[in-house]
Amino acid sequence: MVFDTIAARVRRAKTSEGGYGSVAGGGPEPEPTAMAALALHDRDAVAWLLGTQTTEGSFGTQAGSVFSDDTALVCLSLPDGAQLERALDHVEATAGVNERGAAGPPPYGWPWTSGAYGWTEPTAWGVLALRTRRPASERIADGIDALAQRECAEGGWNYGTPESFGVAEPPFVQTTAVALFATAGIEEGLTRRGLAALHARWRSEAGGLLTLAAAVAAFRSFHDADAGEAAEALERAVGDATQSDTVALAWAALAIGPGLSALSVG
Amino acid sequence: MNEHTHRIDRRTFLRGAAAVGTFAAAGAIGWEIRNVTTHDPWDASAFPPRDSSRVAVLRAPSYEADLESIVLGGLRTIGADVSGARVLLKPNMVEYDPHGVVNTDPRVVVAAVHALRRLGASSVTVAEGPGHRRDTGYVVEASGLSPALRDARTPFVDLNVAPSSAVPLRSRFTNLGSLWLPDAIRTADVVISMPKMKTHHWAGATLSLKNCFGCLPGRVYGWPKNALHWAGIEPSILDVAGAVRPAYAIVDGIVGMEGNGPINGTAKHVGLLVIGDDPVAVDATSAHIMGMDPAKMPYIAVAGRFLGLSDLERIDAVGEDPTSVMTPFAPAPGFGQTGSITGGQ
Repeated sequence: MVFDTIAARVRRAKTSEGGYGSVAGGGPEPEPTAMAALALHDRDAVAWLLGTQTTEGSFGTQAGSVFSDDTALVCLSLPDGAQLERALDHVEATAGVNERGAAGPPPYGWPWTSGAYGWTEPTAWGVLALRTRRPASERIADGIDALAQRECAEGGWNYGTPESFGVAEPPFVQTTAVALFATAGIEEGLTRRGLAALHARWRSEAGGLLTLAAAVAAFRSFHDADAGEAAEALERAVGDATQSDTVALAWAALAIGPGLSALSVG
Repeated sequence: MNEHTHRIDRRTFLRGAAAVGTFAAAGAIGWEIRNVTTHDPWDASAFPPRDSSRVAVLRAPSYEADLESIVLGGLRTIGADVSGARVLLKPNMVEYDPHGVVNTDPRVVVAAVHALRRLGASSVTVAEGPGHRRDTGYVVEASGLSPALRDARTPFVDLNVAPSSAVPLRSRFTNLGSLWLPDAIRTADVVISMPKMKTHHWAGATLSLKNCFGCLPGRVYGWPKNALHWAGIEPSILDVAGAVRPAYAIVDGIVGMEGNGPINGTAKHVGLLVIGDDPVAVDATSAHIMGMDPAKMPYIAVAGRFLGLSDLERIDAVGEDPTSVMTPFAPAPGFGQTGSITGGQ
């Protein structure tokens, strides 16, 4: 029943074109559409996505000279075929830039926007897309290295800066959860420390629906003892939430529904 | 309130800056502005010159003070006209640190909400798009902003996910060309930037102009909005502020942040609110109060050529004399090294 309730709220953002807006009433965009496609197994959403692929194989939003690249996330929802292969080619060819105006030394990871630094969440999506859809890709190792480099001192990940001007930065629950899916089964230490960071922080960060949903998804996927308590908190949070962030709601649907398997490797 | 108008001459500033010995040497940072000296990179028709700017520097000793009355008095002093207007307040809520002073205090935000209603605003909305945390709901809940706004029956808009569309830039300090701006920003009659008074390791200080970064949706520009960093932080500040065009600014300088800002600095009690009808003038005045020379802060100095007034001698400062309340801030480490920034810092 809870899944149906959440799914209905996600669908409020569905447009007549089949794609989903970032909030109800917004125009269709690749990221919320991909999340909804994963969480709800929505074929209309996949069809809309397939119709938006660029000639370079990418999916995203062009904002002036900035291209917001959602290709890796979209790959998780695409059917096998030529369009998926072109999208994966694009993912493999995309890398973060470590210094302003220069590639800098590896690892590179993946950026939010073309030509920018490789941050935790887009790097996690890049790794996950390749591990699930093109597991022989040589870029996987770079992505894992990037996530290992960006791991916080106490374990887990924030947006991608473990240290700033000599100060250790703390991990965030939401980014840690996403990175845990990408690194699962690769290095036991990354997973163990990441889960420890989730344990230590999820209750204090539970005021955010996206955070809580991502935590539940990770706990369920890793068969963690906190999964039940976190899921109950998520159920309460969804009931109370007034926000209509489609990605957050889709994460909630993903966390408690059948779509979660899409984030599992192997 | 002291209604006497203060104008800060250059000699007075230099005396103060020399006495505190802080930012005077940090002026020549490694930053270039394309074509500024040969061709103004903005459409003159979009940025008509200002004849004057009015900034109120107001004592507010603590967050327990009657902030609504102070803000109301400040807005009246600068002649803020919001009657019948749909007002959008943009505080700085970049992320939440339970032990820090990162954000604009919710009590200042709520005080502004009530003051604007008393001045006849038809609606007041609070909006933010946090730059580090993707989960805006967490930031505004944990920081206390959400509960405060619920009590004040004030709507909040998450600018990171709000409907947005492309807006062509009328200035060209970067090669961004156009920006995605939330409809909430574009359709507001009046946008008021409400930053925290704090240091920033790349820009020197993050005030009402830099605060405009939070108007851009993270779902397009990422968390953090690194595309703006790579386009050049200070050029980006100018282009983004030139697109957002806040009409007024209210700086939370009751407790600021010095040192390792904008996230990891330490609390600095100043006991002031700075309110003005020109964000550039507010930033210049606030920087002066922080012990910095705004003339040596490139983005403020250049903003003073097209967005507002940055010349302290031309700004009408009322209330407290900015020089007499100067409270030097320890600079952020890394300030002056913008040429060597890397994405991970």
